[in-house]
Amino acid sequence: MLRQTILAALIAAVAAFGVYWWLTAPTALALPAPTRGPDLANGQELFNAGGCSSCHAVPNQPDRLKLGGGLALGSPFGTFYAPNISPDPTDGIGRWSEAEFVNAVMHGISPEGTHYFPAFPYTSYHIAKVDDVRDLFAYLKTLPPVSGRVRDHDLPFPFNIRRNVGIWKLLFMDVRPFVPAAAHSPQWNRGAYLVNGFGHCAECHSPRNLLGGIIASQRFAGGPNPEGEGWVPNITQKGIGDWSEKDIADFLETGDMPEGDSASGAMRPVIKNLAQLKPDDRAAMAAYLKSLPPVDGPTPPKRKEAGG
Amino acid sequence: MKRMLIVAGTLVLGAGAVMAQQEVAVQQDNLMRSQAKSLYTVILKMTKGDIPYNQKAVDEAIAHLEADVAKIAKTFEVNPKQDVVNATYGASPKVWQNKADFDSKIPPVQKAIADVKGKIHDVASLKAAYTAINDRCTDCHETYRLKLK
Repeated sequence: MLRQTILAALIAAVAAFGVYWWLTAPTALALPAPTRGPDLANGQELFNAGGCSSCHAVPNQPDRLKLGGGLALGSPFGTFYAPNISPDPTDGIGRWSEAEFVNAVMHGISPEGTHYFPAFPYTSYHIAKVDDVRDLFAYLKTLPPVSGRVRDHDLPFPFNIRRNVGIWKLLFMDVRPFVPAAAHSPQWNRGAYLVNGFGHCAECHSPRNLLGGIIASQRFAGGPNPEGEGWVPNITQKGIGDWSEKDIADFLETGDMPEGDSASGAMRPVIKNLAQLKPDDRAAMAAYLKSLPPVDGPTPPKRKEAGG
Repeated sequence: MKRMLIVAGTLVLGAGAVMAQQEVAVQQDNLMRSQAKSLYTVILKMTKGDIPYNQKAVDEAIAHLEADVAKIAKTFEVNPKQDVVNATYGASPKVWQNKADFDSKIPPVQKAIADVKGKIHDVASLKAAYTAINDRCTDCHETYRLKLK
């Protein structure tokens, strides 16, 4: 009897593990052949729209094109360290194939076939057009190689198990491709593509659930800063209804707000990137953002009276 | 009776301390607001053409800004450990964890102001001055200013 029970339990455990393994298996996709040569100017535009350098540039030095990584990114699940994505062959992505890069950016899968943690916003980047990601790869290859491998992430169990990210992706990653809305203008669609894709605005400007998934009904409605300190504002019309489309576009370029203030905190590096975009792209993002229906976000907590 | 007096006294002192902390936070907030008024309500609005260019107002704004920036290190000496009631922005506790670094951000602002002082004569030079000064402000705000809601 006992032996039978143990046997049954063992079989159940093996089966459960099998299901887990199957559910969490990273599946890299094959890449269709390119239809055109790389467009470096487009790659640069998307590099700036994507804010790559905000996380991957070497911290505390002025050159935003030195992508040696190392920035610490706090989260409720531990501390992530942005890796080296410079074209260095040993420490960066110098030896990566184009397919490996596309799978990393769009599917969050490393060249070794493991899941990346969603601190890397592939959850947004997945709607990118493959050709755009190819252009980005070609552009990154033109930047200076930076040597030095970045330390491992500092995550406690069970968040350090990369296989678990497979389950997370099933639960929280929207895998539908970007489909332009016929009812809207090409400008609006370009904005929707940039804001939801490379711009990955929703990654900070939305509240998250206990497991770190974005609460879809409150997308763009702001929430606690995932890094711990302060509040990320609501960028639906609930939060910035007073801003005109031009106000938003100006803000994306300069950080200056219509109410007479200037962006601060983590938005500052974002502005530095967006300031480099073509004015048309900023205007497109503004047109899309201005169209977001007003949504109530979470309420900011009363701040503690003392203790700092 | 004695005991009651002590209790009452402690309460009054405690309340006083809380008041004092709030007072410190308000002073810090007011100082930053005063600078925002010079830089944004006057200078930025003029660069955008929201209000007409006015040489006297520009010179005054720059002078006010210069005087205010000189007060930052001293006004932010003490950590009030609380924010101004209902404030939208506040100072990060990091200010007092790295006070030396915080203070080191001030001289570059002063230099940016000194560099443009007396050299602004039209909207174009005002724009350049605005960007030069505001970039130095935001070098510090990137780390030490918090949005609270």
